[in-house]
Amino acid sequence: MMSTKAFTLVSAVERELLMGDKERVNIECVECCGKNLYVGTNDCSIYHFLLEEQSLPAGTATFTATKQLHRHLGLRKPVCELRAASALHRLLVLCDYSITLVHMLSLEPVPSGARIKGAVALALNENPVSGDPFCVEVCIISVKRRTIQVFMVYEDRVQIVREVSTPEQPLAVAVDGHFLCLALTTQYIILNYSTGAAQDLFPYCSEEKRPIVKRIGRQEFLLAGPGGLGMFATVAGISQRAPVHWSENVIGAAVCFPYVLALDDAFITVHSMLDQQQKQTLPFKEGHILQDFEGRVIVATSKGVYILVPLPLEKQIQDLLASHRVEEALVLAKGARRNIPKEKFQGMYRRILQQAGFIHFAQLQFLEAKELFRSGQLDVRELISLCPFLLPTSSSFTRSHPPLHEYADLNQLTQGDQEKAAKCKRFLMTYLEEVRSSEVVHSYKEDVDTALLKLYAEAGHASLLDLLVTENACLLADSAAWLEKHKRYFALGLLYHHNDQDAAAVQLWVNIVNGEIDDPTRADLYDYVVDFLTHSPDHALVWKHADWALQKSEEVGVQVFTRRPLEEQQDGFNPDDVLTRLKKYPNALVRYLEHLVMDRNLQREEYHTRLALLYLDAVLQRTPGASGSGAEVTETQAKLRRLLQKSDLYRVHFLMERVRDAGLPMERAILHGKLEEHEQALRTLALELGDFPAAEDYCAWRSVGREPAYRRRLFHTLLALYLGPGPSPPASASASASAELAVAAVDLLNRHAAEFDAAQVLQLLPGTWSVQLLCPFLTGAVRDSTHTRRTAQVALGLATSENLIYKHDQMKLKRSSFRLSDKQLCQVCHSPFCEPVFVRYPTGDLVHTHCAASRHTNPSAPRPGART
Amino acid sequence: MRKPDGKIVLLGDMNVGKTSLLQRYMERRFADTVSTVGGAFYLKQWRSYHISIWDTAGREQFHGLGSMYCRGAAAVILTYDVNHPQSLVELEERFLGLTETASTDCLFAIVGNKVDLSEEGASEGCETEGDSPGPAGGSAPSKGPKQVRLEEAVALYKKILKYKMLDEKDMPAAEQMCFETSAKTGHNVDLLFETLFDMVVPVILRQRAQGPPQTVDISRYKPPERTKSGCCA
Repeated sequence: MMSTKAFTLVSAVERELLMGDKERVNIECVECCGKNLYVGTNDCSIYHFLLEEQSLPAGTATFTATKQLHRHLGLRKPVCELRAASALHRLLVLCDYSITLVHMLSLEPVPSGARIKGAVALALNENPVSGDPFCVEVCIISVKRRTIQVFMVYEDRVQIVREVSTPEQPLAVAVDGHFLCLALTTQYIILNYSTGAAQDLFPYCSEEKRPIVKRIGRQEFLLAGPGGLGMFATVAGISQRAPVHWSENVIGAAVCFPYVLALDDAFITVHSMLDQQQKQTLPFKEGHILQDFEGRVIVATSKGVYILVPLPLEKQIQDLLASHRVEEALVLAKGARRNIPKEKFQGMYRRILQQAGFIHFAQLQFLEAKELFRSGQLDVRELISLCPFLLPTSSSFTRSHPPLHEYADLNQLTQGDQEKAAKCKRFLMTYLEEVRSSEVVHSYKEDVDTALLKLYAEAGHASLLDLLVTENACLLADSAAWLEKHKRYFALGLLYHHNDQDAAAVQLWVNIVNGEIDDPTRADLYDYVVDFLTHSPDHALVWKHADWALQKSEEVGVQVFTRRPLEEQQDGFNPDDVLTRLKKYPNALVRYLEHLVMDRNLQREEYHTRLALLYLDAVLQRTPGASGSGAEVTETQAKLRRLLQKSDLYRVHFLMERVRDAGLPMERAILHGKLEEHEQALRTLALELGDFPAAEDYCAWRSVGREPAYRRRLFHTLLALYLGPGPSPPASASASASAELAVAAVDLLNRHAAEFDAAQVLQLLPGTWSVQLLCPFLTGAVRDSTHTRRTAQVALGLATSENLIYKHDQMKLKRSSFRLSDKQLCQVCHSPFCEPVFVRYPTGDLVHTHCAASRHTNPSAPRPGART
Repeated sequence: MRKPDGKIVLLGDMNVGKTSLLQRYMERRFADTVSTVGGAFYLKQWRSYHISIWDTAGREQFHGLGSMYCRGAAAVILTYDVNHPQSLVELEERFLGLTETASTDCLFAIVGNKVDLSEEGASEGCETEGDSPGPAGGSAPSKGPKQVRLEEAVALYKKILKYKMLDEKDMPAAEQMCFETSAKTGHNVDLLFETLFDMVVPVILRQRAQGPPQTVDISRYKPPERTKSGCCA
């Protein structure tokens, strides 16, 4: 077991000073109270020394004792025990089964001669029950068998307060409050002398070994147990600490927090109460007394007195850390909490945690290290500064002094092992990731983020990009140099962008795309740049790089204009400017016009016409011969047709000029349609192209939103074309062509029966056609006609009946008659009627016509009733 | 040091694996242990409670300490070795007496450790083994059939409840409190401790409720009866 140095053994009273050359004088007991050291001997003497302590820089101390007084008690018995009661200025002396009170300085017995008789052993109650400061509670093992007595000792008198009998003969006693801890013949017990309640602790054998009962603190005792155990027990009879393991023949024990010291015939052993481990062993022969007095541990042989000087806890902890015993150091530090002022402790403890963290770190035990760094609130820059150049040059950080660890840098720590260094850096990376968002690093966020960026860049870590595209505090100059060094140009661009230097960023990326510098981070960097420009609010930048983007790919490059958010397009990118710029890039131009016309639905003739022309040019280029029929309809052609159909803004005549002789009948038909030249359009479709469905579709298309008559007219026109003696077909093909047309006519009629005026159609039809042929049309027409007739009949019936009702009403009103004479008065103005004209209300009231009229304009007038 | 809220004590004959069980649970490892001297304990935080788990020494020499360790315990884990029938017998004969000092509503768990040393699935295949699980003698190979059946532990558990004059209805069922574990493989170790922690928490709460009241109850104050009459009476 590695040992700690917790105590140094120094001599206090040399043999010569005590008994000179008297061989047979032996030390029997020792008491120490402040600077007063008392020694009792077997020749019935008491010696009083004054102890002077001189601290040494190493944390230890030396003592010089000067003899003050020597008094012989006048008996031939040894002085068994000495106990100082400093509050009373008395020394209790147990000699010859009697406890006498002597003055602490003069060693003279009190004049009253007060004493306790019949005592075998005594114990002072350090946790007294009475609140009297001028009284000491003393507990004795009486010479009476199985008896314990409790006394109050005053300056010059003693008073017995309690006598309790024990189940067996007591051999040793300690006391705390009302609780006696007793070593009986076969077992240890706790006895409450106030209530008499006893609690067994555990058995032991008094014949084999001397019992030890030692109060170690409030309500807790230390006992010598079986197998050399130092057992802890509370007054409640339970153990709250695990036992310490002594040798079998321990003869004395003392406590000096956090250590338990034990004395056997050859050694003083030191155990920690915190982890029960043995910490130190001091060879010490012939010792027979080991006691602690107010924190001072004294050990004595029969000839000399020595003091065990504890090293300061901080020094002990530092020693433990220096030998990398982290756990023990932490346990000791935690245990020291109550012995050190709070503020001082917190600072110290944090530092110890940090130091411990670095020890684990150096051993690559990162989990432990992280926990310690976190709980020790380590300034992460301590860690960062281990890696050369990670901290930005502008950082104000200096390592803590005294240093938390012994390493200059990572290289020294890993002794040049690159693999280990990489592991450390990986840990640092994850640790920085975790702490960078916390409050703690707020004041030096730049240092942390910059360091993290450097680590990522160096390791080629993908998180580098995540770091740069999210909120970060990376310092530009430092980071840029580092990224450049590691050829992370794409990331460097992101850094520029984050620092509002988009121009630099884009320029850098352009250079990468152009292959001038090499950074394979993104294979799709070109698309990225285009996307970046698309969303960039910097118009000048967009204009600047537009040509580059378009040269790379017109289709993609044009997105910088077409994909912009709409509101931005409106104020920064005038379509005319864009169009001017796009002149050199026909494909891009088409895309942009499409965007204007279709996506943005701009209603400007110029754009529509231009787009149509561009489409047309493209179509014409692809179908050089006029023979190109509807067989191969290219995409562009489809677009052209769609545009021609949908848009009403382009210049129709202008386009017609271009289309007329270009062999594009379908397009021509559409243009005819736009010009309301339906016959020509249909002729083109039906006769020229022979595309009957297209002709029918045309009728449907042009009549959308028009009245039914217009629609009917279109269909009739088409029918007439089918049936009419077409002048166009050459004579040779005449027969088959006209047969084909006839079939088309029949189909048209049968399919769109409702669109025709059957009567008119029947007159047009050649008489040779069979009824069967036109059966669907005729059925439809007849049904339709019948339906119309019946509907008309119903309407007629309803109108007739309505008419009858009115007639009936009229008759009813006409049937009654009344007289109007000049004696009657108008109900409104109450003046007589002078003319034959009047108004009569259904209630029978008669009024002047002018009164009735005025009543309508003047609502306040009396209201005779509704007017008929 | 924080004072624990409740205590769990491991008891059992020496070399049944008490220290290993605790080490497996607390430190997630299995290592050769030396014979425990006196005792040791771990502090475990379970939810908001601190539970101390005492590992005791199985050696006869330290037997006398058991009572003190058990004093006020909220739960006792009686541990035996499934390969040594005597270790189960010892539980009843030597260790049960130590639990007299435990809290009155102390829970008992009976744990057969070292199942890794017996044949796989022996617990399911008990019937094939015959009805004499007694000592198989020294002829058993390194992996022999299990020597102690779970039923025997269950029987002991029921007997304990009888001794303690506890009603079976008030206590957890025997099947719930008898475990077969292996500190070496970790089999059932977490289950054992965590089942027990969950059960101990209500015991702690009950003990707190019954413990010395933290506030002075004025309403219960009874004026002292006058035994002597006043001077003027």
